[in-house]
Amino acid sequence: MFGGVILDNLDIFAQAYLTTVILAVGAMALALAIGTLAASIRVWGPPLASGVAGFYVEFFRNTPLLVQLFFYATLFAPRNLGITSDPAVVAIIGLGVYTGAFVTEAIRSGILSVDPRQLEAARSLGLNQVQTLRLVVLPQAIRTVIPPLGNLSIALVKNTSIASAISTREILFVGLLVQSRTFSLEPFVAILAAYWSLTIPLSIAVSRLERRLAFSR
Amino acid sequence: MTAAARALGRGSMRLGAYLGLVILVAIIIGLVAIGALPAARWAPFADVRVWWFLGEGLLATIQMGVAALVASLILSVPLALARIGAPAPVRAVIVGWIELVRATPVLALVLGIVLFMPRTGLNIPPIWAATLALTIYTSAVLAEIVRAGILSIPRGEVEAARSLGLPYAATMRLVVLPQALARMTPAIVSQLITLVKDTSLASIAAVPELMSFARSSFTFYGNPVETLFVVACIFFVICYTLSRISRRLELHRPADVMPPVLGEEDLQPVVRA
Repeated sequence: MFGGVILDNLDIFAQAYLTTVILAVGAMALALAIGTLAASIRVWGPPLASGVAGFYVEFFRNTPLLVQLFFYATLFAPRNLGITSDPAVVAIIGLGVYTGAFVTEAIRSGILSVDPRQLEAARSLGLNQVQTLRLVVLPQAIRTVIPPLGNLSIALVKNTSIASAISTREILFVGLLVQSRTFSLEPFVAILAAYWSLTIPLSIAVSRLERRLAFSR
Repeated sequence: MTAAARALGRGSMRLGAYLGLVILVAIIIGLVAIGALPAARWAPFADVRVWWFLGEGLLATIQMGVAALVASLILSVPLALARIGAPAPVRAVIVGWIELVRATPVLALVLGIVLFMPRTGLNIPPIWAATLALTIYTSAVLAEIVRAGILSIPRGEVEAARSLGLPYAATMRLVVLPQALARMTPAIVSQLITLVKDTSLASIAAVPELMSFARSSFTFYGNPVETLFVVACIFFVICYTLSRISRRLELHRPADVMPPVLGEEDLQPVVRA
């Protein structure tokens, strides 16, 4: 019967699905934290610091995620720094730092999309720096930032599959493990279905949001 | 801010970028100094044969990247045209295909095709099976970029060309595609960067490319961290050069045309003049 292999291994598939979700959520939280900080430095920081943040963005964007994950996995291993040998922790850090570079650029373009004359106007009207940021810049910047952040989170969900290379027990890793033991095609179908169940609703949500934000602008 | 101050700011920003590089190198040197990355493990890189070995892998990586890019570009135009203008049932199939492929992790596609290709009786070498997987993914993404490029050309131009008696194919070839292509170039280059990075995934399916060669090398010498750092730098040089080219192409566009079409991961700021 089709599906038999999956039903037999339902518990480990469910566990793997959960791991994938945790990787994506954890890495996105880290990426947002890094991205907000780096984008602020990039826009408002002193030029020297801004350049350093720019180097971070370029270096991490232009290097394969797989190489980065392997790098951290071996660097953090007991043989070298001895920080951790838990692949899930390494994966969250690696995915977060990688995605953070893209998030930085997204947030930066959001901030820059607000006309600088509006800042001058807000300041002239007597709003202080924090008020200007909270009442004038952020509400507008968020509109520009949400669609690219949505796309980045879809890319991130897909990128969690690369964590399988450092033996994180997520969907792809577990699916291929079951596949290699059963020689059945079913686990592969399950892998695809699992990723689609995450990415397709996300992409529908993003395009809806994009349309809504575009109208209200 | 005066022009001089701005120029000064840009100068220190560039200085800052170099500072970033210096910090990265300093971290590595620091790790060497505290003994986390013993200097002895860097010694193999003094041997030119290691570089030749990695170079061989790099050659395979470039082959895969170029082949997948060319094939994807060729496939993406009919896909985009079909998505815009084909009869409804055909269009639904094309839309479904593009969306499903884009919703799939590249690694799952690569592993799926490389592992299951032998089962179908087609025995093509793994490197070309992986290239096929990368082509399937990249062509779906490029199709969306091409579609956006074509739709960004004002309808009036198509109508004018058709009224002048140009058939559909000629309208596309002479009026729409040349202009669309100019607008899409930055997005295409940025997708090429993603493609170059994604070739490394083929190493998981045991395809002999740069990352696989690097893994053999560091398994032999026992210096994974060091080798991976070198490989990261090789990829960085290639991809950063491509991104500079893309930036330059963007800057050289005439000022009066509409903004360029943005790619999947291309988040270049929409800076106002």
